[in-house]
Amino acid sequence: MADSTPPPLHGPSSKEKKYDRQLRLWAASGQQALEDSHVLLVNSAGPGVVGVETLKNLVLPGIGHFTIVDPATVSEDDLGVNFFLDEESLGQSRAKRCYELLEELNPDVEGHYIAESIENLLEKPDFLSPYTLILLVAPIPARLIDIICRTAHQTGTPVFYIHSVGFYAHFSLLLPSAFPIVDTHPDPASTTDLRLLEPWPELSALVEEKARNLDNLSDYEHGHVPYVLLLLYYLERWKKEHNGQVPQNYKQKSEFRELVRKGARTNNPEGGEENFDEAIGAVLKSLHPSKLSSAAMEVFEAEECQNITKDSQTFWVIAAAIRKFYLDHKATPLPGAVPDMKAQSADYIKLQNVYKTRARADFHEVLQTVRTIEKNLGRTTSVDEKEVEAFCKGAAFVKLIRGRPFHIAGSKAGINWGHRAKFAYQALQDPSSLLPMYLGLLAVDTYHAESVDKPLDESSLLSYTSSLVDNLEREAAAAGSSTQDVDLTEAKTQVSQVVQELIRHDGAELHNISALAGGMIAQEVIKVITRQYIPIDNTCLFDGIGSRSSVLRL
Amino acid sequence: MGRDRFPKQSLGSLYSRIKQSRVLMVGAGGIGCELLKNLVLTGFGEVHIIDLDTIDLSNLNRQFLFRHEHIKKSKALVAKETAGRFNPNVKLEAHHANIKDAEFTVDWFKGFNLVFNALDNLDARRHVNKMCLAAEVPLIESGTTGFNGQVQVIQRGKTECYDCTPKQTPKSFPVCTIRSTPSQPIHCIVWAKSYLFTEIFGTSEDDAAEFDHSEDAENAKEIENLRQESQALKAIRDSMGSDEFPRRVFEKVFGDDIKRLRSMEDMWKSRRPPEALDYDRVSQSASGIDPSISVKDQENWNLAENFVVFSDSLRRLSARLRDTQAKVSDGDAPPILSFDKDDVDTLDFVTASANLRSFIFGIGTKSKFDIKQMAGNIIPAIATTNAMTAGLCVLQAFHVMRGDMEKARMVFLTRSTERVISGEPLHAPNPDCPVCGVAQSKLVVDPTRATLNDLVESLLRLELGYGEEFSVNNEVGILYDPDLDDNLPKKLSDLGIKGDSFLTVVDEDDDNPRVNLVLSISEQPLPEDSKPVLLPEKVEVPRKPKAVAPAVEPAPPVANGVAHAPNAADNADLKRKRNASDIGLEDEQIKKRGKVAEETSHAVEEDLVVVEDSGNGAIVIDD
Ligand SMILES: [Zn+2]
Repeated sequence: MADSTPPPLHGPSSKEKKYDRQLRLWAASGQQALEDSHVLLVNSAGPGVVGVETLKNLVLPGIGHFTIVDPATVSEDDLGVNFFLDEESLGQSRAKRCYELLEELNPDVEGHYIAESIENLLEKPDFLSPYTLILLVAPIPARLIDIICRTAHQTGTPVFYIHSVGFYAHFSLLLPSAFPIVDTHPDPASTTDLRLLEPWPELSALVEEKARNLDNLSDYEHGHVPYVLLLLYYLERWKKEHNGQVPQNYKQKSEFRELVRKGARTNNPEGGEENFDEAIGAVLKSLHPSKLSSAAMEVFEAEECQNITKDSQTFWVIAAAIRKFYLDHKATPLPGAVPDMKAQSADYIKLQNVYKTRARADFHEVLQTVRTIEKNLGRTTSVDEKEVEAFCKGAAFVKLIRGRPFHIAGSKAGINWGHRAKFAYQALQDPSSLLPMYLGLLAVDTYHAESVDKPLDESSLLSYTSSLVDNLEREAAAAGSSTQDVDLTEAKTQVSQVVQELIRHDGAELHNISALAGGMIAQEVIKVITRQYIPIDNTCLFDGIGSRSSVLRL
Repeated sequence: MGRDRFPKQSLGSLYSRIKQSRVLMVGAGGIGCELLKNLVLTGFGEVHIIDLDTIDLSNLNRQFLFRHEHIKKSKALVAKETAGRFNPNVKLEAHHANIKDAEFTVDWFKGFNLVFNALDNLDARRHVNKMCLAAEVPLIESGTTGFNGQVQVIQRGKTECYDCTPKQTPKSFPVCTIRSTPSQPIHCIVWAKSYLFTEIFGTSEDDAAEFDHSEDAENAKEIENLRQESQALKAIRDSMGSDEFPRRVFEKVFGDDIKRLRSMEDMWKSRRPPEALDYDRVSQSASGIDPSISVKDQENWNLAENFVVFSDSLRRLSARLRDTQAKVSDGDAPPILSFDKDDVDTLDFVTASANLRSFIFGIGTKSKFDIKQMAGNIIPAIATTNAMTAGLCVLQAFHVMRGDMEKARMVFLTRSTERVISGEPLHAPNPDCPVCGVAQSKLVVDPTRATLNDLVESLLRLELGYGEEFSVNNEVGILYDPDLDDNLPKKLSDLGIKGDSFLTVVDEDDDNPRVNLVLSISEQPLPEDSKPVLLPEKVEVPRKPKAVAPAVEPAPPVANGVAHAPNAADNADLKRKRNASDIGLEDEQIKKRGKVAEETSHAVEEDLVVVEDSGNGAIVIDD
């Protein structure tokens, strides 16, 4: 039927239509952030498919710009693994051909290419400055990784460092040293915040109005008292019998639940009341004091939050205002949303209004603080109200990631595990850990540190991995790990299996693995660019033989 | 050196098997595009692509084999064309068709080494599952919703099949809830889309699938009232195009019908009675509001704004229907309009009508953006999830092709930051599964001679040893049981039992019944001296397991949220799309908006999805 209808007279732009399915995941603000981005892909030696597949997954949802750096020309080998190269491409610049075919995927994206080696390009000191995010694909000489990461860390540009070899894929993520996220998209079931243990006068008044005469209500009214009010009513009763204390522990909460259960009328055809069922179901998850999550605590305790300056990012200004709110009230601003429940419409709307009004008031208090901070510090631009509002709504779920440099296996001396040595050493003892793969890849990087052209050599790789293991053990011991009675035989066997596998593939990419890794990487890139959802921190390993992945903080 | 250097190097001996294999990919949507690319570059020898759908603008954010100039063309054909350019060594075959078509027989399925499901609706998934079980071809089943994805390997006799765990069927509502006593926004949306819109612009004979008629009998009187109400609305339809049309529709559905409902006092004893709207009063309050308000799709419009959009979209749609009518020649079926979430006129109409009804019943209103999702059953979809899911499908295919089912996994993609991908070992078949917990056989039938009696007496009783108590069924219902023997003398062909349909024999013996026997019919003339029905191979029909099997655990939530989430956007089956997508109102939406929040079993939340598997899943170790 749709075919027979003429086009509509007016409607959403074709861009909105094209992106409709993803706007439902990251909204217009996320889309705008994507469109403002410029992603740089650095391919140096190797087939470079994983980077191109990653770009594909970013071009489709509509990043603003991308640039491919790749000195290679297209060979027969490439045609078998790279979807974006065809017969015609043979002998041409690989950067150029990939750019052309990728750009075709989305006319709203502007692509660029540079058919030169990154080494030459880095000689220009500001070469990296136009890019908002960098994808670095191994093999690439360690000293170049080092230069790029240093520069990027100074400018706060995120860097992804990527391996795809045979059935193995890996990426590590370098984020700025403070990477705060407001819109973490928490599980909607966990965001309900009703403050049942800290009712305020308007809420208590509503309880008084609707539930005081509970026993005298008609069956209809009794079955329609919103469960929030029921719980508050029974809490008051409980407190009277328990020295003003609310239920403290699981046992008491169970007793409290019984108290509520007994209040339900059962002499009706349904043999119970839906609103009471809702109340009973909510006891365990709603009766806890509002407590700040450790993630949110980290934000408010951050130095950036306690020392706001004229140049602080807006995130920190708002965070500081909310911190003050938290210190004053022992709670974050009320989000204000009320879940659906059995109720008469008018009562439900009243209840909603009580929560909304309180949320508005909390928001205004925070906004006032923000304005005061701005004035006191003489900040010239003022924070957008909407941003403050969004922060207030999600205050309990904000998250701060502290970006840390990832390992660069430059010299034969190995790497420095720093304060993660104990953790990595423990992971090495876990036979299901994918850490051995990581060690194997670091060994390959060490091997490639000087030149990326030599075929892999088994004995060198094994000697690098064994020194990596030894160094890790030494560092962990120095940090206090017990190394006595630790048997690393299995770990060492696993590492040598990884080495065999790496030799077998010798840098070959399997399209399917690169495509899969390209999906995983692009997903994290989108999280980082949109600053929505929580990206991985900081190393992700994927083993295509067992179809398993693991995220390690290294 | 050359094109297959890398795959050869990485896949070793498996590579030559892959090169000689023939695989089928059902669905060329989001997962399908990715999967086809991966199959082509992995070197699969021959790939068949089947999809009934055509390309839509909203596909282009992820279905990368398609471009703007391909809109409205066949997905299967364009996918073949685009992907074929990149590996001339792979043989590609495209079918712009419905996988449920009769031409795709069990024998046709047998011609493949492996089948990939890249579908988005329950119905087609179940069909392919059944066909693959019958053909004994391994199936790799996959699905995505937003950031979540899932891949499952299915092989007859060795693993669970798609139907071994119960699946949620699309939500439906009692007729009276929709037509007389709505209490949630979704009820008003279904009313606007499947009743009002259809009565005015469509063919009301096609009863919408979201109507649940099981309670009709108890409410016979109200059902009869509602029937008369629809008749009266149809009469108004004739004045479409006149200036009075919007007023007449409005006064009928938001005025008179509401007053009638309100007069049914019994109905409102425990509910808030509805308040009819007065056309003149609402229209006065709406003066000066421009119809362009309808582009503000994130806002909740007030009563007057909804009124303006209602009247304006009704005019737009009437004009369209009239234009189409003018072009129709005599003898053709009269033209109709169908609701399409991407068709702004129809969406405006449904949004405004649903909200007006919500005002009447004191229910909260919704923005156009939200209603689009609720009415159109939109499931978020992105390239990244598809890329990962398709990659996992191929990795599982490697295990299947090596014959190494021990290593095959059920794999989940989650939004979780700790486990991006996790897996669990495949489960054994559920002995009580109605689909795979059965014996299967082909049944050769001579259509000119075979009667039901031939099947019942000579084959089932004499040859296979069935007792007195059993029944023979097809999709339509019971054909034979001991109390229903009228059909016995009839020819199978006269009973509608044709080639490539299925019959199910249910043993109702009290003591030791056999499992169900599913016969797939193959028609062919048989020599006069042979029996008119025969089994080409010997069949063992085992007895049902004695012990009461433990209750089937419900599928992990992701299976409900993902695997059969009907997604209108990438649908391999356009006919179904109209049904499946229109019925299924996304669980999460319902959960979030409606009053089902307490049904924790519904909670399709990412965090519940994680499946721990200390041996083989993704492991997180952190301090
Ligand atoms: Zn089954």
